[in-house]
Amino acid sequence: MGWEGFLLVVLLLIICVNSFNSLAFLTVENQVNLFVLSVEKIIIALIMTFIILNAEIDLSVASMMGLAACALGWMVESGTSTSTAIGLCLIIGLVGGAFNAYWITIVKLPSLVVTLAMLIGFRGLGRVLIEDRSIRVFPPWFENLGQQPILGPLPLSILIFLVLLVIAVVILQYTGFGRYVYVIGISQEVATYSGVRVARVKTILFMVSGLISALAGILFSARLGSVRGDMGLGFELDIITMVLLGGVSIFGGAGSIYGVILSILIVLYLRNGMSLSNVTGHIQTGVIGVILILSAMIPNIKSWLESIFDKKYAP
Amino acid sequence: MDSGSAVLDVQNLSKRFDMTQALEDVSVDLKAGEIHALVGENGAGKSTLIKILTGIQQADQGEVLLQGKPVKISNAQEAQSYGIAAIFQEPMVFPDLDVAENIFISHRDRGFFVRWKKIYQDAETILEDLGIQLDVRSPASGLTLAAQQAVEIAKAISLNVKVLIMDEPTASLSSHEVSQLFSVARRLRDEGVAVLFISHRLEEVFEIADRITVFRDGHKISTNPVSEVTRESLIQEMVGREVSKFYKSHEKTVQGRRIGSIKNLTKQPIFSEINFDLHEGEILGFAGLVGSRRTDVGLAIFGVTPADSGSIEIEGKTELIHSPQEAQKLGIAYMTEDRRKLGLAMPMSITENITLASLKKYLGLLGIVESSREEQTAGEFKERLDIKTPSLTHEVGKLSGGNQQKVMFSKWLNTQPKIFILDEPTRGIDVGAKAEVHQMIRELAKQGIAILCISSDLPEVLVLSDRILVMREGRQMGILEGASANQESVMALAMGQ
Repeated sequence: MGWEGFLLVVLLLIICVNSFNSLAFLTVENQVNLFVLSVEKIIIALIMTFIILNAEIDLSVASMMGLAACALGWMVESGTSTSTAIGLCLIIGLVGGAFNAYWITIVKLPSLVVTLAMLIGFRGLGRVLIEDRSIRVFPPWFENLGQQPILGPLPLSILIFLVLLVIAVVILQYTGFGRYVYVIGISQEVATYSGVRVARVKTILFMVSGLISALAGILFSARLGSVRGDMGLGFELDIITMVLLGGVSIFGGAGSIYGVILSILIVLYLRNGMSLSNVTGHIQTGVIGVILILSAMIPNIKSWLESIFDKKYAP
Repeated sequence: MDSGSAVLDVQNLSKRFDMTQALEDVSVDLKAGEIHALVGENGAGKSTLIKILTGIQQADQGEVLLQGKPVKISNAQEAQSYGIAAIFQEPMVFPDLDVAENIFISHRDRGFFVRWKKIYQDAETILEDLGIQLDVRSPASGLTLAAQQAVEIAKAISLNVKVLIMDEPTASLSSHEVSQLFSVARRLRDEGVAVLFISHRLEEVFEIADRITVFRDGHKISTNPVSEVTRESLIQEMVGREVSKFYKSHEKTVQGRRIGSIKNLTKQPIFSEINFDLHEGEILGFAGLVGSRRTDVGLAIFGVTPADSGSIEIEGKTELIHSPQEAQKLGIAYMTEDRRKLGLAMPMSITENITLASLKKYLGLLGIVESSREEQTAGEFKERLDIKTPSLTHEVGKLSGGNQQKVMFSKWLNTQPKIFILDEPTRGIDVGAKAEVHQMIRELAKQGIAILCISSDLPEVLVLSDRILVMREGRQMGILEGASANQESVMALAMGQ
């Protein structure tokens, strides 16, 4: 059964409690709404899963979101057409990711340090572009993107998430690239000695991470209808929480995308349930914090349980 | 001074690591005022003895007596307090401290304030007594290796050393530096220190030692005054005689056409000027002692750590290989000596490990792994190499050493190599599995693969190889014909005779 089974039990429990607490919980409207409110984070959580499985980390995702949003506002404000600006923002994401990858794979600095620097760097760059202003210059079609249902009750952002989810599952569980991601996470040396192009895999992951983060920033701008320098501030922590709670080892190589899907649902339903019961945002954040600590302890708890089991049942 | 009495008496020491008996019932005595050399092949148990004496490891059985009293050495500090010190090939000085600070680094009786003046004076006195000229105020980072060793010796003296262990101290020194080191060692001996000197260089052993102890396979073979041993008797004792009955009947495989040629392969400062040809179906043994840089040559050919000059010609294509991918394209496979760290992804399944190096063959539409074909391959190798496992989805980490080794073989055979570099192919597996692996290597050669077999197990090299290339400290000492080579002739080259 493993960790995913445990998450499933927790999830069902939360669903039960939530639906008893509030009749609104299971309505389609509430369900769509709770996803829309966090869609940017859960999109990034997908690529973060790959990166943490690879025994790396990308702390710069939320700042890249902010940078893409600011760049979008700044370009549209200075007369660029919105669709061109969107394209350029995606390129900024790719270039930013490639920049991270350069320092990590070629200079061989730890990704923790590189992306921490870029957490500050990308955010600063965004602030330079639009300073302390709030820009609200987007055409109506763009603002509709964020919320208008286009397939049944689902808006574009949720559809994008679902498509990316399917792609992520297929790549990670079924392709050769997914296999390489795991092997590198288990041991970079074993991968190198087996002829795996370690640097190439890492470069792809960080570039895609930049691209997806920029995409999330664009979707965020569309949902809010405006951009500000502090957009997405601190999101990286929520995203990493989701991935670790999903059972992905912070040391890489272990965990699955299914666990992450379950943990996304747990975090979203927990927050939604607390909102429906009028728990304040600060306490919600506190609860999420406790969850992060617990999820970081997962490997320890697991091995502790195993050692007890081994002692009891050893021949 | 009081020469003749045993300062350190090692009695019936035994130490076991998992499968291997590193030391078995070993007794050695060190007398005050003698230089006692310890020699033996790789894995004879020399390092284990040093680790026990310096408190890095503990013995399973046996006693260490210091001046007649049994002592328990449970860590490095205790060893130091008993007056046992060791210097190694790579000295361990603090680069940012100066010479005097390094010498007095471990003193605990210095009180609250550091008395700098006294420290520098004392350091000067110690170095002067040793006949070493060094500025006590210069930082250790700028010192040569030899000077760093001198600092370590001075440090040992400042701690009132009774037993000084020198583990391969001359391996990276020039001949002038060696003679300086020797004069220091002799001076210490004359002052009543017992010096335990470990070296692979027999000429040095004969130059400096008073008595010589030989270790082989964890046993002490003999201790004799230097006047009673000869070079030949020493080598014979080191390699042993009974090994020859183990296997022999070397069947020479048919020499096929030349498929590869390595010319002047060099990577400074690690190895230089390596030259050999590889033929279809030939087993070329790579012999040498620890530190002879055989693995580095293998890694350069496989492109993990590329060489900086020379050429690798394979099937008429000449290039310097820069990455494992290039090597694989040329049909080269390299099976590492370190299964755990470099060879296998332990948490992954047997199947996933077997296909790891050739995964591209199994990718279908959209890069999706065709798992049925993958399982088929794994099944074939399970049959062919007789991998013992309940299922191919089993984690590799849970297999025995011998079966893990077979998975590694499968992984590389599946890349269909023309040249297969085997690095210590039988390390850490039991005797039965070893014979199986040997059989497997012979069969691969029969199928026309050129095999380059790096091994520290001399009988293994002799029994397998058609030709034997002997290395010593990064240089190629010669290539012997397998049929006429014996332990003595290989060891003589490996030790630079």
